[in-house]
Amino acid sequence: MIALVTWMSLSSLAPAAFADAPAANPRAPVSWEVVDIGRVVLVEDHRAPLVEVRLHFPVGAWSPWFRESGAEEAFTMQLFDPEGALRARVDALAADLNLSSDDFGSTLSFSCLKEDLPDGLELIQDVIYNRDYDLSELKRAKKGRQVEWEGQIKDPSFRLEQAGRELMFAEGDPRLNGYEEPAAVVTDGAKLSAVRNTLVRLPGRTVGFAGDLNRAEIDALIVGLLPPTEAAPEGLAPAFSPLKTERPALTQVPMPTLTQVYFALGRESLAWGSEDYPSMLIASHILGGHFYSRLYMSLRHDGGETYGAGVRYASGPEPGPYGLTTFTRVENMERTEEKLRAVLDTFHADGITQEELDDAVGNLLGERAFSQQAPGQVLDNWLWESARGLPAGWRESMAESASALELEAVNGFISDFYAPSKFVMIRVEPEVK
Amino acid sequence: MLFLSGLGLLAPSAIAQDAPAAEPCDEEAAGEEGCPDAEDADADAEEADAEPPPPEYGYFTATLDNGLKVSVLSDPDHPIVSTQTWVQVGSAHEAASEAGFAHLFEHFMFGDTANYDKDVYSRHHTSNGGSENAYTAFDNTVYISEIPPEQHDYVLQLEADRLVNLVLDQENLDNEKKIVTEELRLRTENNPTGRLLITGLRGLFGEHPYGHSPAGTKEDIQGADLELARKFYEGYYRPANLHLVIVGPVNGPWTLERVAEYYGDLPAEHSAPPEVPSLQDWSFPERVDLQDDIPPVKLAANIYIAPAPGDADYWAMKLLGQMISSGSVDRFREELVVSRGKALDGFGTYVDQFQAGGILIFGSISLPTRSRRRALKLIDRTVETLDERIWLTEENLAVARRALLREELEGSYYAASQADDIGRAYAWMGDDALGVDGFAARYEAVTLKDIEDVWYRYVAEAQPVEFTVKKGKPE
Repeated sequence: MIALVTWMSLSSLAPAAFADAPAANPRAPVSWEVVDIGRVVLVEDHRAPLVEVRLHFPVGAWSPWFRESGAEEAFTMQLFDPEGALRARVDALAADLNLSSDDFGSTLSFSCLKEDLPDGLELIQDVIYNRDYDLSELKRAKKGRQVEWEGQIKDPSFRLEQAGRELMFAEGDPRLNGYEEPAAVVTDGAKLSAVRNTLVRLPGRTVGFAGDLNRAEIDALIVGLLPPTEAAPEGLAPAFSPLKTERPALTQVPMPTLTQVYFALGRESLAWGSEDYPSMLIASHILGGHFYSRLYMSLRHDGGETYGAGVRYASGPEPGPYGLTTFTRVENMERTEEKLRAVLDTFHADGITQEELDDAVGNLLGERAFSQQAPGQVLDNWLWESARGLPAGWRESMAESASALELEAVNGFISDFYAPSKFVMIRVEPEVK
Repeated sequence: MLFLSGLGLLAPSAIAQDAPAAEPCDEEAAGEEGCPDAEDADADAEEADAEPPPPEYGYFTATLDNGLKVSVLSDPDHPIVSTQTWVQVGSAHEAASEAGFAHLFEHFMFGDTANYDKDVYSRHHTSNGGSENAYTAFDNTVYISEIPPEQHDYVLQLEADRLVNLVLDQENLDNEKKIVTEELRLRTENNPTGRLLITGLRGLFGEHPYGHSPAGTKEDIQGADLELARKFYEGYYRPANLHLVIVGPVNGPWTLERVAEYYGDLPAEHSAPPEVPSLQDWSFPERVDLQDDIPPVKLAANIYIAPAPGDADYWAMKLLGQMISSGSVDRFREELVVSRGKALDGFGTYVDQFQAGGILIFGSISLPTRSRRRALKLIDRTVETLDERIWLTEENLAVARRALLREELEGSYYAASQADDIGRAYAWMGDDALGVDGFAARYEAVTLKDIEDVWYRYVAEAQPVEFTVKKGKPE
């Protein structure tokens, strides 16, 4: 049967990687406090001579202070000095350095070969102490932000989500961040330097390491890495507004030259702290979380109305948007909307079966392995939970909670949450001239 | 394998050239001969997931008598198993009137087989936390499975089954046509970037097989018929055109044996996909000028035809691309944007995603008021500055090698990334072991002189295609 079999000896391929590797890679995160630094977390993994570093600061785009002070550009543009010296040092180390912010925090991410870590940490220090912002790059970033916004508003999926959020959240609510026209980039270098200095001195910061190193090595390298912490400014915490309760049954968003209609049947999601959150995970998976979900079965496999359909939602300390979404050709709009509504009606009326529940639980439990492949993944998961004030392992615990749910409990949740009267329709559709 | 032959899964008659397509197993047929009911399928899964022997790790490869190339990289540190089936046929192998059919057929492959309802494959993945997908590129179509190791054996069984027992019927074809047409509307008609990709490929490559996107066109999709489907299935989707790659915590020899049992009876007869002309031998236009509903900017680029991944110059070109255009300092951007202040942004990139050749792009993004001629002139001048080759030093070469090594090591954490490396190395360079060993030795063998030579050959002494896009009514 086998014409040619080549057996290649393991040792000739990657001896260190296999022979000396610990049983479990990456290892579970360990964390500890370091005076004058803050929390330190380590995910050891000795399979490859690589190290990843994260400096995480606990303020992001949902913070009023962050949005009003220009903190995004203060943080993300600090790598750009006029001579490009900092970036040249990144390249000389054959390393990667990124500065980013999300809703909850700001993160410096650095990865390098292990032997370059001491030089890399020196470079990181110089970046977060850089006071010489490149004003030309700031001006280009200002124009770039405008161009990016003009590109986003031509995307019907973006417009659908934007319209859904505007229906639920009041002006100024952090949950509209990213869906409102962005403020102009601050181009005053001195101001940005001051804002950045405040940001990196905030209490609650975390330094993360992942890869081929141990705690003793970190303790030796981390001394003096960060400036001392200072008191946080006012207005740091997100200020959520009450949800809008007056929502029209149908919202139409016209866009020129579209050949498809984009739908969302939307409402608010549940907050992370809701006791029904695990039920929502289960129900969302069955309704629109996979290739043979209820929505896919009805709208794609049975009739070819669409290429894609699903449930899209975001959660947080407060509820976010929740929607059943799909799209179809213009002439097929009514039929598709009817089927979309029918899926929701049936789901609400009949609930799910034990087999569906078992499959969903299997999915939630099984997919955990996918986020355990690389040490950087494990570190980022830990930081994701920590930045949101969630206990370590929260996401895994949600999967476990969901696996303990009885069918009756999930169907009880469905009969309440998915009541069609709680959903409104949003359509992005061709402009009628 | 007993339970397989018992179900008649791999019976040769089922795939004879003129055999009528079998009816799919629906609820009414469940339990009848050749149509396992849900309990049968569960039993298959349980039996297929029977305890394998203790792991034996390493790289194992084999070629079955029917031509199927198999690569198994057994690595105990991966928590999941990645299985990729590389089919050596993509959109570049379509005839002019078949544009998009390789992609349409990729959809087909997730349909009913004579033995399993179409949802079985997908549900086996999702109910175990796994994922299943596929993509159609210019030169290949790749089917991807990721799943915890305990459920992997059943994936092999299902993969082998759909290679021989797929139901090709009109109803399924009609439904997939509708679905793919909606995908085209989503990704191209209603997406300026997608539209530009279509018109850009057509403008640059013209009648070359890379001149149409793998997505195809609505018109060609509508014209597809079952005869074409059979041509693909019974000609191209045969073991001699396939490479099965498995990476994860599996037992190597045991997995090879299972593959031999599941795939060994697939027929050897096949059609070889047509040759794709080398880009080096192709005639390109002097200029391509496009317009679309983009944000208010002007895009301009010089496009150079570069070596393909299988060419002798590939490794030097890869390092050249790394030295000029990767990392935090893109030397082209630095000269055009930072030093001269002549554009909003700039970039250089070596695209090595085409099997028949690569392309090297130096591009700029400017205000919309910048004239086409001026934008291209500025790019020319910037390339002239790079031609002074200040960047061509041993120190920079060493850094480029280390950066590429770091990227490789980062990929080694992921079973899917390793499977992709092995599949790509075999498809494009004919050397699957290269995808296991890594590319460091190849980069180490490249000298500064090699890089200087490729710079002269493919850039300094070459005539680029001038490419621009301005804001305007979509073409």
